[in-house]
Amino acid sequence: MTRLRRLTRGYGYEVALGVALLPAYALLAWRAPLLRDPENLLDASQHIVEIGILAVAMTPIIISGGIDLSVGSLVGMCGIVLGYAWQAGVPLWAAALLAVLAGALAGALNGAAVTRGRVPPLVVTLATMAIFRGAAYAISQARPVSGFPVWFEDLGQSYVRLWPTPWQAPAQLLVFLVVAALGGFFLHATVYGRYVYAVGSNERAARFAAVPVHRVKLLLYTLSGSAAGLAAVVFVARTGAAKADAAAGYELDVITCVVLGGTRITGGRGTPAGTLLGVVAVLLARTGLGYAGVPDVWRTLLLGVLLILTACAGPLLAGRRR
Amino acid sequence: MRTGGALLCTTLLLIAAAATVRGDEPAAATKTLVIGVMPKLIGIEYFNAAEKGAREAAAELGVELVFDGPVTNDSARQSEMIDLWIARKMDVICVAPNDPDSIAPVLRKASRRGIRVLTWDADANPASSLREFFVNQAENEAIGRGLVDVLAEQTGGRGEYAIITGSLTAANQNIWMEWMRKHVAERYPDFKEVALKASEEDQQLAFQVTQDVLKAHPNLAGVFGITTVSLPGAAEAVERAGKAGQVKVTGLGLPSSMKKYVHGGVVETFILWNPIDLGYLTVYAAKLLAENKLQADSTLEAGRLGAIEVKGDQVLLGPPLRFTKDNVDDFAF
Repeated sequence: MTRLRRLTRGYGYEVALGVALLPAYALLAWRAPLLRDPENLLDASQHIVEIGILAVAMTPIIISGGIDLSVGSLVGMCGIVLGYAWQAGVPLWAAALLAVLAGALAGALNGAAVTRGRVPPLVVTLATMAIFRGAAYAISQARPVSGFPVWFEDLGQSYVRLWPTPWQAPAQLLVFLVVAALGGFFLHATVYGRYVYAVGSNERAARFAAVPVHRVKLLLYTLSGSAAGLAAVVFVARTGAAKADAAAGYELDVITCVVLGGTRITGGRGTPAGTLLGVVAVLLARTGLGYAGVPDVWRTLLLGVLLILTACAGPLLAGRRR
Repeated sequence: MRTGGALLCTTLLLIAAAATVRGDEPAAATKTLVIGVMPKLIGIEYFNAAEKGAREAAAELGVELVFDGPVTNDSARQSEMIDLWIARKMDVICVAPNDPDSIAPVLRKASRRGIRVLTWDADANPASSLREFFVNQAENEAIGRGLVDVLAEQTGGRGEYAIITGSLTAANQNIWMEWMRKHVAERYPDFKEVALKASEEDQQLAFQVTQDVLKAHPNLAGVFGITTVSLPGAAEAVERAGKAGQVKVTGLGLPSSMKKYVHGGVVETFILWNPIDLGYLTVYAAKLLAENKLQADSTLEAGRLGAIEVKGDQVLLGPPLRFTKDNVDDFAF
């Protein structure tokens, strides 16, 4: 086996996706000349950073056979926590930490309901999707918080050099890349990461093999909640306002990226690298179509089509289990 | 083969997507001005009318117009779309923001890149967004006071009233409400506001919240629907509750959607301006701005609209119009 083949063993789908993105990029760049400048794509990535962060956290949850529909609402709630804490006089950095903490607690709530409560994750997170959003509206009375210090807003608009290239990338992109790297580290290099795959492949067998299934699940949902808190901080910095209706509908985009990236919705298979590529694919589609002047409504349609067809491609790889 | 299948699928998809994409017209070759006009959202009659006017002006002036916006009144989506426009290097960006503060960072970015920025219909925070001018449909004071006067005429200036607004962040709606409250405080001390509800530019939601208000306040004398979507929703709720005539309804609405309520006796009078003209004026103002011919405290010539006053940094379309059963059928919007 060649070195390359050995390195990418089990990554069949991700490699295929990565390779498929190249002609796709070439074609889109031909029709939308703005795409030829990589800095434009990097610039546009700032709008997908929150979705990317949530997608990385969603990946282990889906691998383990669960799902978290409440992430969008949680971003809204954590954003409100951030905004109102700051308005109440808490220093901004502490308010941001508070937002992440609130996310972690909410995530733990999800985890507890799924493990102790034995309620299916779909039902739990459907309920918490409404609860968190409702809490956001209740706390804020639908009044947003804005007027954050300019340095905070500029953080959401600043650029750093993507070494070693000469390109300028939005600062938040680095946050996403760090989160993606951490996700990769967790899933591939830690024991609990390994457990995630075990639970997803066959939960009963895992339990009999002394895998602490409940603890694993609780951890995953808590991490997802924390990620939502982090995404909320990024969102508020980028948009300059903490609103209760923030990130509405994001969970669908997030799941799209995860499934596009090769994670099987039934569990047991998936990688953060794939999710990263899924995010890139969605970014490419959205930005390319946007630059070409395709109206908003068409973009939604095309992303849906993209999702269905890649979901069909999944079973084509049946048997290629990690 | 299986990997190949996945590869094939994904590539085919993106090719299909790319193939449906319309390429950009080579406007950069000639020096046609590219003006982007963004409503709060697309798909409601008010902004459809504005688009009509905008396209009319663009055709007259020979500029390229891009009219697009999010499908819901989502301020984050607006920021995202403006970012795309910045990358497309438009000459002027005109936006009706859903949130005056959250749109500010991206508007500052546009200014930094040398793009001229205007707001229309609703304003952004002038200090933090650095927008150069605001194309306003009418003086906010005139709208606010006018609305209250209309309801006061019908209810004798006393009683409980409710306001159904669009979104709690929209700058224009908030400033009209400020003037409404001021006018009530100054002129109608017996008028009492008992409810304020948001309807998020969704007529169905406006209908629901008005129903709730009617149930919660059985002695309600009047309802204001201060967006073109909330007024018909509120009127429908009053009609269905059988309270037409008992609860007076007024606000800002389009003649086309309010016709049946006016003739049905639910609404006597309502106010608006001409949104077609607003769209038309916005494009004219944008072109003048790009040519550095738009100045504060002056007048400008706006095609078929004639002389338009620029008061401070606001370009004013004109005084608000009153619609009653006598003239509601006369308009194309």
